[in-house]
Amino acid sequence: MAFIWENFVFAILGFLILYVLLQKYAFKPLLEVMEKRRLLVKQQMDDAATSRTQAQAYVEEQKEALSTARKEAYDIIEQAKQTSVRQADEIIDKAKQETVRLKDEAARDIENEKNKAVDELRQEVGSLSVAIASKLLKKQVDEKDQAQLVDEYLNEVGGKQ
Amino acid sequence: MHFAPIIQIWGINFDLSTIGMLLISGLIVFVLARVAVRNLSIDNPTRMQNFMEWLVEFVQGIIGSTMDLKKGLGYISLCMTLMLFIFVSNILGLPFAIITEPHGPTSIFGYEILATNQAAFDALGEGEHIQLLWWKSPTADIAVTMGLATVIFILVNYLGLKHNRKHYLKHYIEPFPIFLPLNIVENLAKPVALGIRLFANIFAGEVILSTLIKAGIFGLPFTAAWQGFSLFVGGLQAFIFTMLTMVYIAQASIHEEH
Repeated sequence: MAFIWENFVFAILGFLILYVLLQKYAFKPLLEVMEKRRLLVKQQMDDAATSRTQAQAYVEEQKEALSTARKEAYDIIEQAKQTSVRQADEIIDKAKQETVRLKDEAARDIENEKNKAVDELRQEVGSLSVAIASKLLKKQVDEKDQAQLVDEYLNEVGGKQ
Repeated sequence: MHFAPIIQIWGINFDLSTIGMLLISGLIVFVLARVAVRNLSIDNPTRMQNFMEWLVEFVQGIIGSTMDLKKGLGYISLCMTLMLFIFVSNILGLPFAIITEPHGPTSIFGYEILATNQAAFDALGEGEHIQLLWWKSPTADIAVTMGLATVIFILVNYLGLKHNRKHYLKHYIEPFPIFLPLNIVENLAKPVALGIRLFANIFAGEVILSTLIKAGIFGLPFTAAWQGFSLFVGGLQAFIFTMLTMVYIAQASIHEEH
């Protein structure tokens, strides 16, 4: 096996030419595409991370809004309950006052009516007494007559009533 | 005895077999690479593109194991070329060989093939033939493998001087100046070892193949097995050559701060 110097030179030249050709026409575009894909994947992963963060923030926001709304609703219900209790108390109070007032009025009316009746009776009794006295004076009456008279009188009073 | 078909033009020896095989294997590698990058696509790569990208990632793994990958990105093309070229060269001689057996002085392109001149035939004994080996692995020629190793040797020293001059020159006199001859020998031994390792593996493989073929029908299973093993050896040698190249480059051009 001889060492042929020309082969040595041809091998070096051949390898260098092949290297240059492959570098220019094959590996450079291939590596560019691989780099582009790497960037694409990186960008997509970044996008995914961003949208994930956004989604999380959004969910947090929604949760907060929901709890606020819940609290507000609770407050409103509480307020409504308090208002209704107060109104009911007011209504009951008013009704009581009204009752008391009506009762008082009724009592006062009764008193008035009674007084009026007593007054009328008094006047009646007065006038009757005068009439009886005048009748007694008009005729001399005996005991029998007197009894009759009283009966009459009483009947009269009873009839008037 | 197999001879190389060499013709002489203007006093320059042209080994038609080696030149032809270098051209063929270069052509195969180039066509393969071009087919792989024909319809480059980011999101829908073809099978060949996938294969080539797998190879690129494999090479990146080799580079990354010897140096910081960011510094080594420029060597991807070199490693890919080495790997593909050496692998294709190694396996070219496996499927068959083309041998001619001229019975008299033979000429090609008007030039006489040196091994078949009249003197050679005159010197032949009874029953002996002159055989010309046309198809073989180009890496089964020591001049070719030493050529590749020389390219690497020059590249390694150039990169060492360019990127890491102070430490590269200093390593020749480390740990003591008296080690200078030893370090020079070590440096020179690297390309020799690279070239001879590749040549010996492939050449020995082909010698064993041709021996097994001579065993005829009984040698057939062994031939097939040896071809399979040679395929493995071819890949392994391509890997070793590339790996060692990157190791040498990293040793020479990268100075690790301790």
